[in-house]
Amino acid sequence: MEMDKGRVEVEDVVIRFGTRDSAVTALDRTNLVLEPGTFTALIGPSGCGKSTLMNAIAGFVQPAEGRITLDGAQIRGPSPDVGVIFQQYALFPWFTALGNIRFGLKQFGLSKREEIDRARAALDEVGLGAHADKYPQQLSGGMKQRVAIARTFATGAKVLLMDEPFGALDAQTRIVMHELLLNVWRKHRATVLFVTHDVDEALLLADDVRVMSQAPGRLIRHYAMTQPRPRALSRSGSDLLEIREDILGLLRPTTEPLPERAH
Amino acid sequence: MVVTEQHDKITRPKPPVARFAQLSAAGTAVGLPMVSFLFILALWSVVGASGVVSEAIFPAPWSVWSATVEMWQNGTLQKDLCVSLGRAGVGFAIGATLGVTMGLLTGRVALVRTLLNPFLNLLRPIPAIALVPVAIVWFGIGEGSKYFVVSYTVFLTVWFNTHHGMQYVPETYLRAARSLGASRLREFLTVVLPAAAPHIFAGIRLGVALAFLSLVAAELSGASSGLGFRLQEARQYIRTDRMFSLLIILGILGAVADLVVHRIGRKLVHWEQG
Repeated sequence: MEMDKGRVEVEDVVIRFGTRDSAVTALDRTNLVLEPGTFTALIGPSGCGKSTLMNAIAGFVQPAEGRITLDGAQIRGPSPDVGVIFQQYALFPWFTALGNIRFGLKQFGLSKREEIDRARAALDEVGLGAHADKYPQQLSGGMKQRVAIARTFATGAKVLLMDEPFGALDAQTRIVMHELLLNVWRKHRATVLFVTHDVDEALLLADDVRVMSQAPGRLIRHYAMTQPRPRALSRSGSDLLEIREDILGLLRPTTEPLPERAH
Repeated sequence: MVVTEQHDKITRPKPPVARFAQLSAAGTAVGLPMVSFLFILALWSVVGASGVVSEAIFPAPWSVWSATVEMWQNGTLQKDLCVSLGRAGVGFAIGATLGVTMGLLTGRVALVRTLLNPFLNLLRPIPAIALVPVAIVWFGIGEGSKYFVVSYTVFLTVWFNTHHGMQYVPETYLRAARSLGASRLREFLTVVLPAAAPHIFAGIRLGVALAFLSLVAAELSGASSGLGFRLQEARQYIRTDRMFSLLIILGILGAVADLVVHRIGRKLVHWEQG
């Protein structure tokens, strides 16, 4: 029964933006299933609608057609069952690291003692126990995102949606964050949907890698990743490199070559 | 190569020099304004002593000082200060409370926004002074008309800024709050309010400045006490020395009030700096 938690089903979802005359279709009959406890990476060119899909599963955006369900129940709005990690961290600057985590625990009506204990445990889990009383502005980008991860896992969310969560971090910090995320995820076994435009990141982390086409977004390729973690792209003869080339080929714009640009 | 090395030697400050620079930086922050203040005072004294300008038009510093002492000794200054500060305080409190409430409503509730925002845009351009005649007809020359003019002016400014601040609450904060299971009430109290707080405080600070401005405008025409009234009375007796004294007092009051509000704001919205 426990394994049945956190199954997300996206069925024939259509999402349009704008008024009827100038409506833009962001998602056109998209189908996707996230099996409980799996880690899915969603990759695609910018503007393809991958963030829109994520926002729809989070309940921030309502589909015009089709439906999205969590364990069979339709998602009609944001709920603590579906946690979200934003690229801009979205920590509340008026709360300390501990206060931010306590914010998510308020819904359970715990005693103050219990609430603080649980928040502290969540911070310890991401290695920030010593920074509980710091404000977000006093933390580095990587530390902020760790607080955000702890905040979401602490609420016991069944599904975790991550929108390019490490996009603003430097390469070194990213590697640390990948390891940390996999550890926390293994422990909590939430269903993860990880939106990124970094192919390597997707290949290193996910059980399933889904590739989305140019807008309106459709899921055009599915790679089931069976390679054991931790994975390395540098290992010669690894089939990861083949998949990587394959995906990069899919993401390369086919219609017209990009003009030369000095950057 | 040689050139850059020499350059390095010149620009790298030696420790004692650095300490001196730090000290002098602190010194200039306080010292320079003092110097310019004393300079203005000296210039004013020289002009006063030279007799070039008539005392009746431009009184010397010592005349202004003795006028201040005189008003203090006959008790009018204390009384006027109390009366004016009371009016400004009461008017400000009413205006700021209503302004924040209204701003939160129009910022948050679409229906209220649609209904009331045209008024915000129509009423804002009307100068506070233009309200004084109406206020006197409605409330007489007593406290009522002063409270009305001050609170109305403060109300509009605080409403506008609060409303504005509500528009700038980042969508991500609201989304994060809802995904973390916050009720509407908790989202409002612990996310929307703090996110809008810097703007609300900016409005309150402006409101304090406008409270003094509109108070004096109200007291100048149609009052029997207060700093503005005393200013008007001094004009009738051509007591320029008293006028100067009252103007300086108004300046100091405004500056102190602004400083206090600024300090309180920085304490409450502590996450905004840096």
